[in-house]
Amino acid sequence: MEGFIATGLIGISLGSQYTLLALGFTLIFGILGVVNFAHGGFYVMGGYVAYYCSAVLGLPYVVALLIALAATFVLGWLFEVLILERVIDDHQATLMVTMGFYLVLATGILVIFGAESPEFSFPISGVWRVGDVYFPYANMVVLGACLAAIVFVFWLVYRTNVGRSLRAMAEDRTVASALGMPTKILFPFAFALATGLAGLTGALVTPILALAPHVGDPVLAFSFLTVILGGLGSVTGATIAAFIVGLIEAYAAVYLGGSKGALTLFVLVLVILVIRPQGLMGKEVRRA
Amino acid sequence: MSNATVSRLLERRSPFFSGYEWVTLALVLATFAVPFLTVNPQIMSQTNLILIAATAALGVYIMLRMDLMSFAVPSFMAIGGYTVAILSIRLGITDVFVLAAAAFIVPALLAIPLGWLILRLKGVYFVLVTFVLTEIVQLLLFEAAPLTGGANGLVGMPAVKIFGFELWDNSHVLLTTAGLAFTGFLITAIFTRRYRYEFAAIEKNDVLAESLGLACWKYKALAFAVAAGVSGLAGFALVNMLMTAHPTSFAPMSSVNYITYTIVGGKASILGTLVGAILLVSATDYFALSGELSPGLYGLLIIVVTLVAKGGVIGMLTKTVQRLRGRNGGGLTNPKPALAEGKS
Repeated sequence: MEGFIATGLIGISLGSQYTLLALGFTLIFGILGVVNFAHGGFYVMGGYVAYYCSAVLGLPYVVALLIALAATFVLGWLFEVLILERVIDDHQATLMVTMGFYLVLATGILVIFGAESPEFSFPISGVWRVGDVYFPYANMVVLGACLAAIVFVFWLVYRTNVGRSLRAMAEDRTVASALGMPTKILFPFAFALATGLAGLTGALVTPILALAPHVGDPVLAFSFLTVILGGLGSVTGATIAAFIVGLIEAYAAVYLGGSKGALTLFVLVLVILVIRPQGLMGKEVRRA
Repeated sequence: MSNATVSRLLERRSPFFSGYEWVTLALVLATFAVPFLTVNPQIMSQTNLILIAATAALGVYIMLRMDLMSFAVPSFMAIGGYTVAILSIRLGITDVFVLAAAAFIVPALLAIPLGWLILRLKGVYFVLVTFVLTEIVQLLLFEAAPLTGGANGLVGMPAVKIFGFELWDNSHVLLTTAGLAFTGFLITAIFTRRYRYEFAAIEKNDVLAESLGLACWKYKALAFAVAAGVSGLAGFALVNMLMTAHPTSFAPMSSVNYITYTIVGGKASILGTLVGAILLVSATDYFALSGELSPGLYGLLIIVVTLVAKGGVIGMLTKTVQRLRGRNGGGLTNPKPALAEGKS
């Protein structure tokens, strides 16, 4: 029973990480209509920036987190304005440039930091213990930070004017800009927000999991799984799906072992696609 | 005006094989001569790699006829490659014709139920699911250890035989690859040209095509199966060259390479796929002081081509030639610009 609860806690903290990644991914798709293949790249970049700031420059971890967030936010903004905006109406072209950018980003990190994973561990150690349930403090902090970020995104999207404009643009870009929404600022903002979230997740999570130039690949695959499950473009769907994915992965890893957890998820996603091709919470497939 | 006039007009404007197909097939055919012209192992292995890469990229090319971006190539390469490895190691079948047929048919048959699942998805969903599919196949290769050898892969494949004659040394391996590549290119050329109007209609607007009475699902499923089969042939060639079937040969991210070959070469024609593979595989080799840099190079090229040269290398060349010759040039520039170039 204790093991069951502890696994559940791990599942929930995994779920909160996936939520942050999937939220960014689904925001970009919902608002810009772009599948961001570079998402995993921003995650890795966030991890490396945080590593560089805290381990090499000796800055406090919290500052390193903020710098990682800012750096991925700025790079996302620049990428949107300089490259993505030029091809925004051609879905295949957006796919190609984000994919290309991911390759450039990953290779850049490889060249700068080398292929070996650096020594980067969470600044807080120790384990919280109630009865026989163990939960590392590091995971707790990450869980708390992720939950805070999730609440922030929901607040931003559903309770502010910026969020209303973003949702209006997701609904119909032409009409929204005709009504005077500042698309020139909001599009890059939405993209940068999402990449910033990916960077923040990377900075938070890589000290616990692993940091290496290639860790973005599985992140991309899991983001895909989550958003397919939740329904592309749906913020609520992505959140629910991310927790489902996290819990299944945690329990399957403990009770089935090996990579069977991932296999279970993939099969689940295939089944979902047969029953509900638009995902759990998705609407009509965006005509892309 | 009878309807015969329209179709005859189309026939006249667009012969079964355009110049692109002839040039491509001739180039692939010419690689049969390589082992007789040189003994340089470097050139032979380079030709081998290019042929395998180009054949694999045909899977992307076929699906792009219908504006579907497929990441599934490594999955079907793996199925083809492992089929061959299992047949030759476990069952002792080494006849190259039997193995090639199996490498084509097994992935193609598996693609039909899979296609039933995922071809209902459009645009982005299709892309995402084919990407997920490569991850699944990768995991299955590791998990199904009794059949696939798990993380060790299947090693010690016997040399394949043609009419009982063992194809064992470097030049024989290249000849085998050339044969497989030529088969793949021929199948692709015939298939994509045979249904060129149907594919063009689906590419432009599949809802409209469907409402005009075109059974879109039939052509999509057929194309998915043929693409899988051709990828299977590439898988056979790869496994045959390495003499091992290993999961890392079919890594999910390698699908990006095949897409890159097609896009950079020019997705509008089959020649683009071949030229893309030739240029990029050679470039990888040329810059391969550290092979880890090649993804970055590919990434840059993808971005540049997408932003400034949408037709890829062949598209640019075609445009240049057209401009030099004026509007009504012959040969390569002629084949039905509207259909062949699609929406560029």
